[in-house]
Amino acid sequence: MKRLVWISSLVAVTAVGLVIAERPAAAHHSSTPFYDDTQRVEATGTVSRFIFRNPHSFIFIDGRNEAGEAVEWEVEMGAAVSMRRSGWTPETISAGDPIKAVGQPSRAPGTHGMCCAQLTRPDGSPIRP
Amino acid sequence: MSRGHGATRLGRALRAVSAATLLGALVVTPNALAAQNEELPRVVPDVAGVWDGGGRVRPINGPNQPWTPDNFPVLNERAQAYQQVFDEAIAPKYDCVPSSSPAIQYDPYYMEVVQWPDRVLLRYEKDDQIRTVWLDGREPPPNDYSIQGFSVGRYEGDALIVETSQFVFDITGFDDYNGIPSSQLKTVTERYWREGDELRMTLTVEDPLFLREPASYTTRWLRAPAGYKLNPYECDAFDARRAVRFMIPKYR
Repeated sequence: MKRLVWISSLVAVTAVGLVIAERPAAAHHSSTPFYDDTQRVEATGTVSRFIFRNPHSFIFIDGRNEAGEAVEWEVEMGAAVSMRRSGWTPETISAGDPIKAVGQPSRAPGTHGMCCAQLTRPDGSPIRP
Repeated sequence: MSRGHGATRLGRALRAVSAATLLGALVVTPNALAAQNEELPRVVPDVAGVWDGGGRVRPINGPNQPWTPDNFPVLNERAQAYQQVFDEAIAPKYDCVPSSSPAIQYDPYYMEVVQWPDRVLLRYEKDDQIRTVWLDGREPPPNDYSIQGFSVGRYEGDALIVETSQFVFDITGFDDYNGIPSSQLKTVTERYWREGDELRMTLTVEDPLFLREPASYTTRWLRAPAGYKLNPYECDAFDARRAVRFMIPKYR
């Protein structure tokens, strides 16, 4: 279950059934300095924390890197006030939930950030508010 | 700029009645507000309400919004030098410092306008900001500089005019995306008016320390869903800065 695969080039992602997380670029900062929008990374694992806050919410995923080492992914999402308007609450995602995230990787070497992610259950079913 | 107006007895009486009504009921219908003096209209333009400035209303802000190639400010050498050395990692927003005019008006969040007899309150959901626009003719007090500056206003025809000055220096005081600072000499003029159920605004910013000429943009808001109330933002400084380490900084 806790498998994580790095994809070094653009990955075609099947859109059916996927949910696009709120883009963190909305208002507070541009994603470009932090995340590489020419790359995609995929993380499959278990939610360890869901921080529903402003200016940005984060999902933390216990996963593994391409070397098989345990890592914690930090998936940046939108502002809680904006997400709440589209139905999100602090309970939409809970610690222990299995999850798959596909998004743009953070730029700094050695970090495991992700943004603009599409979130699903590992079986492909959508995560919805 | 016309800030000072002599009030008539009728105007003073109407203001007293309005103030008493406000204290008693805390409810004011903007259309029912009487003019404050002979130079102002008898019926105040109604720009009150909660307004949506999000993605369904206008393009989300970014390096090319609301400043496009057509209206992008003409920077002087000082501004260009600041822009060249600017590093995103030092942007104050990563410590929850709120954006100011002319950026705050284009943030894709909700805004509430409250019209009182002697002032207009501009409340922003993002960063829990409140700007007070004084309509009573007062002048900006000396040495009172702040992030949002000091705002005075008036009604002209169908529009609310807001003039703001006395900002503090802000390393990202022009917008959130282009690394252009603004100075204590920045002034911002906003004109709000209604087009049906839309709220529209034209904003003009001047800053002789950084801009060669005034820059301007026009935008709009739509009504928020009925009953919507602004939510507390309560920016978390730790989470605001969390993603900064994902960036490769300009300087080591």
